[in-house]
Amino acid sequence: MKVLTNNPKVLEQFHSYPAVTVDYRAVSLHELMVLVRDFVHARHRLLTHPLSGSVKPNETLYKSIGLTEQPEDQLCLESLNLIEQSISTVDRFARIRKDIKEEHHQDLQLVDLTLISSAIDSLAAAKPLPGTPPSGSSRLSST
Amino acid sequence: MRLELGYIHITDIRFGDASKVEDGVLYVNAEEVEALVLRDERITSVKVDMARPGESVRITPVKDVIEPRVKVEGPGGMFPGVISPVDTVGSGKTHVLKGAAVVTTGTIVGFQEGILDMSGVGADYTPFSKTNNLVLVIIPRKGLGSHEHEHAVREAGLKTAVYLGELARELTPDSTEVFETLPLTEGVKQFPDLPRVGYVQMLQSQGLLHDTYVYGVDAKRILPTLMSPTEVMDGAIISGNCVSACDKNPTYVHQNNPIVHDLFARHGKDLNFAAMIITNENVYLADKIRSSDWTSNLCAFLSLDGVIISEEGFGNPDTDLMMNCRKITDKGIKTVVITDEYAGQDGASQSLADAHESADALVTGGNANQVVTLPRMDKIIGSEEYVGIIAGGWDQNKHEDGTITVEIQAITGATSEVGFAHLSAR
Amino acid sequence: MSKKRVVHYINQFFAQIGGEEMAHVKPEYREGPLGPGLAFGPAFGDHAEIVGTVICGDSYFNENMEEAKAELLKMIKAAKPDLFIAGPAFNAGRYGVACGAISEAVKNELGIPVLTGMYEENPGADMFKSAVYIVSTRNSAVGMRDAVKKMSALALKMLKDEPIGASSEDHYIPQGIRVNLFEKDRGSKRAVDMLLKKLKDQPYVTEYPMPAFDRVDPQPAVKDIRSAKIALVTSGGIVPKGNPDHIESSSATKYGRYDLEGVNYLSKNRYATAHGGYDPSYANEDPDRVVPVDMMREFEKEEKIGSLYRYFFSTVGNGTAVKNAKAFAEEFSKELIEENVQAVILTST
Repeated sequence: MKVLTNNPKVLEQFHSYPAVTVDYRAVSLHELMVLVRDFVHARHRLLTHPLSGSVKPNETLYKSIGLTEQPEDQLCLESLNLIEQSISTVDRFARIRKDIKEEHHQDLQLVDLTLISSAIDSLAAAKPLPGTPPSGSSRLSST
Repeated sequence: MRLELGYIHITDIRFGDASKVEDGVLYVNAEEVEALVLRDERITSVKVDMARPGESVRITPVKDVIEPRVKVEGPGGMFPGVISPVDTVGSGKTHVLKGAAVVTTGTIVGFQEGILDMSGVGADYTPFSKTNNLVLVIIPRKGLGSHEHEHAVREAGLKTAVYLGELARELTPDSTEVFETLPLTEGVKQFPDLPRVGYVQMLQSQGLLHDTYVYGVDAKRILPTLMSPTEVMDGAIISGNCVSACDKNPTYVHQNNPIVHDLFARHGKDLNFAAMIITNENVYLADKIRSSDWTSNLCAFLSLDGVIISEEGFGNPDTDLMMNCRKITDKGIKTVVITDEYAGQDGASQSLADAHESADALVTGGNANQVVTLPRMDKIIGSEEYVGIIAGGWDQNKHEDGTITVEIQAITGATSEVGFAHLSAR
Repeated sequence: MSKKRVVHYINQFFAQIGGEEMAHVKPEYREGPLGPGLAFGPAFGDHAEIVGTVICGDSYFNENMEEAKAELLKMIKAAKPDLFIAGPAFNAGRYGVACGAISEAVKNELGIPVLTGMYEENPGADMFKSAVYIVSTRNSAVGMRDAVKKMSALALKMLKDEPIGASSEDHYIPQGIRVNLFEKDRGSKRAVDMLLKKLKDQPYVTEYPMPAFDRVDPQPAVKDIRSAKIALVTSGGIVPKGNPDHIESSSATKYGRYDLEGVNYLSKNRYATAHGGYDPSYANEDPDRVVPVDMMREFEKEEKIGSLYRYFFSTVGNGTAVKNAKAFAEEFSKELIEENVQAVILTST
């Protein structure tokens, strides 16, 4: 799974994890979603929901989204629909400005990390990975 | 399964030398509660406080709300697989301290937990302004990780609720209510002419602060499965969900699941409440497809005529909601879905992140972006420090006169997606 | 306390001037209530009274909308109203449009509260429901009593500056804006009741209608794009400078058809957008960004496509009623088919 992320904690945690390629970009949440759409246009299929988590898009800065490692034969219209809808939701929330304090960046990163970890766990459960360390989320208990 | 709930009506809560219930008053020995909570070495200190309906009190940030109950007859104990050993619950007799609740507060991550006002306009939006609340303000050991912190606070609340519930064991209930569902074939024979109705409950299951546990199992890891609706009344489902105060289901709401209760109210009269199915809302898209396939197949296996589907959360779960609704409808089963809305502060935006035409019968818990100004409260339990940053709050929302302006998504239980509240929108 | 002043608008029929044969009558003002206005009296009690009635023929209004509005506004303003009521129009289409249009004009020009009433399928409802409060009525004057009851209740709320509730509480046609309300029953009970109705095939009202899905099945792929004649159609509002067809910047009621003969790109000196719903600077800087004539010409030259159709069609998508948009397309599609256009590139903004 290719994980597009703007969350440094995800890079740190999964950069050498088998079967996961972390593509870290230091961009805004909106920009990250647009990058994901570019990948979808280039025939990658979404593997995780772009609106993961209940922290609303205007209350966080971080997002990690899983896509197929390789492009597929055809453009996945469902993925395209989902990412388009998600971008429009993110933009809709962005109209309500919320101040996100520096001291909460770590917490927001942690929450995003656990959300993508739960997807990586699902991936690992579906395809056992040789020599995989124990489940992602169980190792996240302390920051 | 047949479960009798015996209600002991609680009209007041007070500190006392001995914890007991007398004439509808719940007396609590604070030292005993403290000692119980501090048995967990992850917790450094706990402050035990109280809040009664109508008082000028604000509790924030609220993590969970739990109803004190005790199992007096039948297998198992309260919160099986978590506090009591794993055993199937939902039959026999259970006593309930109706009108009392345990409220936990704790800043697990520096944002996101709810506001609970006992009076004023905010009280209209939360169902827990009507309960007599024992509040635990929990301070964890320094350096404790977020997962462990959440776990410690969750357990402290449940243990305290069990401790209070025990006080009801020997009491004679003020009123009782019986809930019974029969096994499949017997149920069909019992009400051959009534439509067979099921309840599909979607459980929040996305990760830290977004988890729900079923008999102690993380709901992320379940396949959709069948339950007797009475099992939830004995605490088979508990909340580990701290994000989105307005539409998460606190443990109290699982124990008192209003859809279960309102379906039982018509059971044998207008419908045959045949089954409850629980499913999840995972981040991984393949999980969603599998879970919604499985859920719709279960509905078809059970020959259901109609299904109510409830959601928990916004965004990612909207996709699960629409998948479930579409696939169940495709089986020829009539559906009603319950959700809430994020239509912007002006109400002019699209309400949901996903939509499908099969969701043509929808009940809403209201627009969570609606802005409300809450009055100054004489007493704050917990800390208002986080009001500016919890979901639905923003920095300029504290005014000089002590009032605060928030979106109602900051208020615990305001837009319940299992229909526990009265709020709606048009 | 003196009574609040209300001015009422009705058409020639309800003013008992006459039916269709009198629909041409011009605006006039009469003192006091008239026709349906009389029914508002008892409901208003001591709080308000209709001080004057403005009347206009439906044909006159619809055929001379700007003049009619201006004349009526003058009369209404002179009566110094605190509130303006139009109709109810029930299912009368032109009357409904007139009620909506004059209400909106009064609201914008005089800044006083306004309301009207009509049947939800009246074309005026779709056009004006987001601009003014339109009380939902039955489809004929049989529903007059009920309409007056609901309209006067809402009028009094407005006059007393009370907050307006959700559409289901104050009986108006939903404005596309979600308004919270507390229901008598909790959500779970409402869900059970709704399911029971659905199971019995009885009518029920969803609390949130799903966004309208107008699904269009994709057409088969163009077999040979290299020989295809392709047309450009946009809802992005690109028009020749000066907007010769006066396409509205929002809620468009018309579209334009513009010749591309000899046009190799859309120069900013000759084209601009009429759209009022987005920042026009990028579109005006290079209108090809919205209607890519430049690329199409290039593709023509490179023989990537057969040809670009001689005309492009343009309207403004901003708040434009789906019904209008559909009607435009139905009309110009005939031409496209006649002219053997094989594909259309639709651009939005």
